[in-house]
Amino acid sequence: MNGNRTGASRGWTRSLRDALVYPLTSDLRLLSTAVGTVVTYVVLVLSSFPQFSIQVLASDPADVVYAVSALTREVYLSTGAFGLALVAGYAVLTGIATTNALALVRRARRRGASTIVGVLPGVIAAGCASCGAGVLGVLGFVGAMATLPYDGNLLRVGGIVLLLYFLGRAGDPRTCSLDGGAWG
Amino acid sequence: MDRKSNITRRRALLAGGGILAFGGGVAYVASRSESSEQHYVPATSHGSTETTGFGVELAGRPIAGERDAAVDIYYWTDYLCPFCKKFETEALPEIGRNHLDTGDARLVVLSYPNIEQYSMPAAIWGRCVWSQVADSNPDAFWNWHSAVFEEQPDSGTDWADDKTFTRVTERTDSVDVSPVDTCREERGNSIRESMNPNLDVVQEAGIQGTPGFVIYNHESGAAGKLVGAHPYENFADAIGQVMES
Repeated sequence: MNGNRTGASRGWTRSLRDALVYPLTSDLRLLSTAVGTVVTYVVLVLSSFPQFSIQVLASDPADVVYAVSALTREVYLSTGAFGLALVAGYAVLTGIATTNALALVRRARRRGASTIVGVLPGVIAAGCASCGAGVLGVLGFVGAMATLPYDGNLLRVGGIVLLLYFLGRAGDPRTCSLDGGAWG
Repeated sequence: MDRKSNITRRRALLAGGGILAFGGGVAYVASRSESSEQHYVPATSHGSTETTGFGVELAGRPIAGERDAAVDIYYWTDYLCPFCKKFETEALPEIGRNHLDTGDARLVVLSYPNIEQYSMPAAIWGRCVWSQVADSNPDAFWNWHSAVFEEQPDSGTDWADDKTFTRVTERTDSVDVSPVDTCREERGNSIRESMNPNLDVVQEAGIQGTPGFVIYNHESGAAGKLVGAHPYENFADAIGQVMES
């Protein structure tokens, strides 16, 4: 049993590494990851105070830089360097996950939908878990994050762990995956 | 696998550099501290016992500007809120110079304790300081108010406690700690209860965080809201629109 577990763990780690380096396999994939990262960061940071963000953007869309920099500082002051690093880290992982998901969708179209069905719900679940700041902001109170354990950082760590788990589960999107292992 | 799909050293370096630039940029923006040089002391301040047409109770609240100004700016704040500090040091001095000191508008400071446990005691400190100096030396309140925001550190809310607020009060000219302490002990509960009607107003206005503003024209009844530390231009536009409508 232990041997099986160790083997599965090694397989997952190898698969996660394959997933993380997949964007390095072409210029377009690298660009798509960078765009995904920046867009995710902007959305996450703006959603930490949605009323403010909507008003600033409605007044002058060019003020998006002002809003992002003001809220970046606000997130840092409210949740500390660790909280902000988690948001930035999540943005990078989402950029990678988006690029990999696009590759999966393209492959699934060619080969049938079985692979994509298994992976997309995970990406969505991980996304929902880690954007806690934004979700709580949209639901109501900005100060709500401060009342959560470790100013909401626990929720963010949970989201990142989930995202890593699902990235490792999917592996390199060019290969077929079976129970977390990658081959092909 | 074709050549295009290989992981090249160039792409690896590009990705590493990109991640460093992204992380460095975020860290730079986050750690860039606001200029705390500026703080605003209004040319005139006053108190009032009225309830305005918008339903805001003014009794015991500090008001910057002329009594007969055409526009009210209701400013809900929390001394523990970093975004309020941004407003205080960036947009408020300009609003003060261009709209409050000119007699066009007046700004009412209202408590919206929402950040941490000490938010409510901090709000009570503010009300007690104002009640001590409102008639004799209202400038002392604004100096105290700015000094409290300047106490906010670069991160966290642990700074806010009785010790810090006592130190700021002792340091502020024309404010005595002893009567403020007596006020906190004897009137703390009634001040806390007196915040409720104005908290109902801010919630009805749909403002879900601090700093929150309602800009209200007495004569026409027109009102607009702003949420967060907007750039000064957005306040100027909103004040202009409410004045004209």
